[in-house]
Amino acid sequence: MSRIRFERLRKSYRGSVALDDIDLDIEPSTLTVFCGPPGSGKSVLMRILIGLEAPSAGRILFDGEDITPLPAADRSIGYVPQSFALFPHMSVFDNLAYPLALQGAPRGDIRARVQQAARMVRIDRLLDKRPSQLSGGEKQRAAIARGILKNADIFILDDPLVGLDFKLRESLMEDLKDMRTEIGATFLYLTADPLEALTMADHLVVMDGGHIVEAGAVEAVYDHPAHLRTAELVGFPRCNILPAQMEGSSLVCRSDIGRFRVVLEDGGAASEVMLAIRPEDIAPAVSTAAPPAVGKVTLLENLGSETVVYVRTGETTLVTTIPAAANAVVDLGDAFPFMIRPGGPIVFDRSTHRRVGRLAETLNG
Amino acid sequence: MADVRVEKLRRQFGSLVAVKDITFVFPEHAVTCLLGPSGCGKTTLLRMIAGLERPDAGAILFGDRNVTALPPRRRDVAMVFQYPVMYRTLSVIENIELPLANDRTLGAVERRQRVDEVIEILELGKFRHLHIDRLDLGSRQKVAVGRAIARRTAVTLFDEPTTNVEVHAKLALIRAFKEMRRHVKQTIIYVTHDQTEAMTLADQIALMHEGQIVQCAPPRELYEQPSSEFGGWFLGNPGMNFLTPQPAPQGGFQFDGLPFPLFAPNAGAEEIRLGIRPEHVRISRLPVPDGVPARVLRSAIGIGGQRLVTLVVGNSRIKAKIPPPSHPPEDAFEIGAEVFAVCPIERAILFHGGERLAEPPRRLAASPLAAR
Repeated sequence: MSRIRFERLRKSYRGSVALDDIDLDIEPSTLTVFCGPPGSGKSVLMRILIGLEAPSAGRILFDGEDITPLPAADRSIGYVPQSFALFPHMSVFDNLAYPLALQGAPRGDIRARVQQAARMVRIDRLLDKRPSQLSGGEKQRAAIARGILKNADIFILDDPLVGLDFKLRESLMEDLKDMRTEIGATFLYLTADPLEALTMADHLVVMDGGHIVEAGAVEAVYDHPAHLRTAELVGFPRCNILPAQMEGSSLVCRSDIGRFRVVLEDGGAASEVMLAIRPEDIAPAVSTAAPPAVGKVTLLENLGSETVVYVRTGETTLVTTIPAAANAVVDLGDAFPFMIRPGGPIVFDRSTHRRVGRLAETLNG
Repeated sequence: MADVRVEKLRRQFGSLVAVKDITFVFPEHAVTCLLGPSGCGKTTLLRMIAGLERPDAGAILFGDRNVTALPPRRRDVAMVFQYPVMYRTLSVIENIELPLANDRTLGAVERRQRVDEVIEILELGKFRHLHIDRLDLGSRQKVAVGRAIARRTAVTLFDEPTTNVEVHAKLALIRAFKEMRRHVKQTIIYVTHDQTEAMTLADQIALMHEGQIVQCAPPRELYEQPSSEFGGWFLGNPGMNFLTPQPAPQGGFQFDGLPFPLFAPNAGAEEIRLGIRPEHVRISRLPVPDGVPARVLRSAIGIGGQRLVTLVVGNSRIKAKIPPPSHPPEDAFEIGAEVFAVCPIERAILFHGGERLAEPPRRLAASPLAAR
């Protein structure tokens, strides 16, 4: 299995920087999701990895070997693009077999591998049909099967589910994960959808403005984001971000929604901070023993098993989720007393956007 | 004001029957969402009600008025489309007011009152004199909603109005729709493929599948009591778990996920499935009553930090949605962990040939041997 390493990789187009000093190791045999808004650099990085573009500086190593000068054909990377056009005049089988035939694989070998790939994405009974006889989802499955048929241990999936039906996305995500486990390859997966990123990822690489903001195991990145931008980009519903001020040199901060005691990390210090409060760090207050903050419900979104509640307090609208079972007691326009879960929300330095600590408890007044 | 009734309504495109003899009543003053996957026939049904599509058979009635043969403008119906259809050279208020000019019963003062009313409800005040071209798609769509409701037609139809709008504008539009509903009483039919939107906006949801309405119920009831496997699968993120049984040696049916057999309905095992939603499945590290041994196949972070855990139980996969871990985390279920899964049968539903059985699942009575 190839271990991929990007070393001080840069790419600029006529002076504008698309990628800036990318240093990254990718764990073999895992699924790494690259997430970030459009223009964050994730697609450029993949194009350089495939060999479609040369970097302006830096290099790419496979198992310590510099492959930067290698042409695309010699890199052995499978690629599943966003929309994969199938040849309309060929059967599904011939569409899948085509890249293998080009490589000159023996006939019997082709048949076995096409059938295996088709089974993985559950289109093995459709191999004799023409693309025009398939539904949208079946076509996408065929396209994915063709993408993974290449003999490679690295596969790039470029937003393969974008624009598909919600239910189809749900089942294809499951299929793709099974497929990755079965072929044991390294998958690099690009998406701008935060929930898809969390669902798919073993490892997460958060990109923004040509930089890697943060990279790591998905749970670690979600639970302990080192950078404010990570908290903003990773999570669904979106993380609540609001400004707060530290009171003098004390370990207390004051915000629109109350005062909190803060636990700073070693070396963490700041006067102007940002609080990142995930939806799950806000809970409806059950008792009034500790006077909670109160907001007003401006919108309820019913997701079935949970409800997303938008709560307005002062100038801030907070987002939280409550289990559907609790749904009946909340209505539009209602007062919504809430508490902040101790130990959950994260404190970032407002100027560097680096994590400096966590909220420990809500204080009175 | 009127209810909308369709009777044996049918529409066929070549060999494809898009709408299969639907008989249904859209109640007066209610918001009914037509929800279903692409290709289920929901848009064709809506377009026939609007008069934009001719039915091959059947009738459409607004109250007592048979409108089947009438063109759209004589039906007393307004419609909001996926893309806002606007007069690009006119301002926001002019766009809302223009359709009202066709109504001879309205004087200039009343016209202006209606425009002001919708502008206030939809919070379009700061845009009122702007040209439509200056607005983003979401705000334009708000104007389209305003223009439709200002006409105060008996029936207002919405065809996936949020599909092309970015997420923040979509929320604003949904909020505006809810606010509009507090002020205006019209019969509303709203087509969407988005279950969250339907569950958020609807008084009742008519779930469509392959040209038919398979179930109609208020959102919560539809979610909790699906009448078919299709409903259990289609609603929910992810949808329901479905388990297939084996005949149990002591009689009844044995499911992966249950430590005891269930009373067997009068049907073959291959037609029976047990459905349970992921949020009702519980996981425990230690043996618990009604728990069965399970292995954690994978775990992912889901909505609001919940963990979506995929378990392997016997030959089945069962998904469980569990609350976010506490701070600091103490109950993470790592991949490969051997655990116990509980599928509470009071939360489960039995399906026969895809349809819900009236009888709730129940434990097979202890065998005579055990009773002794």
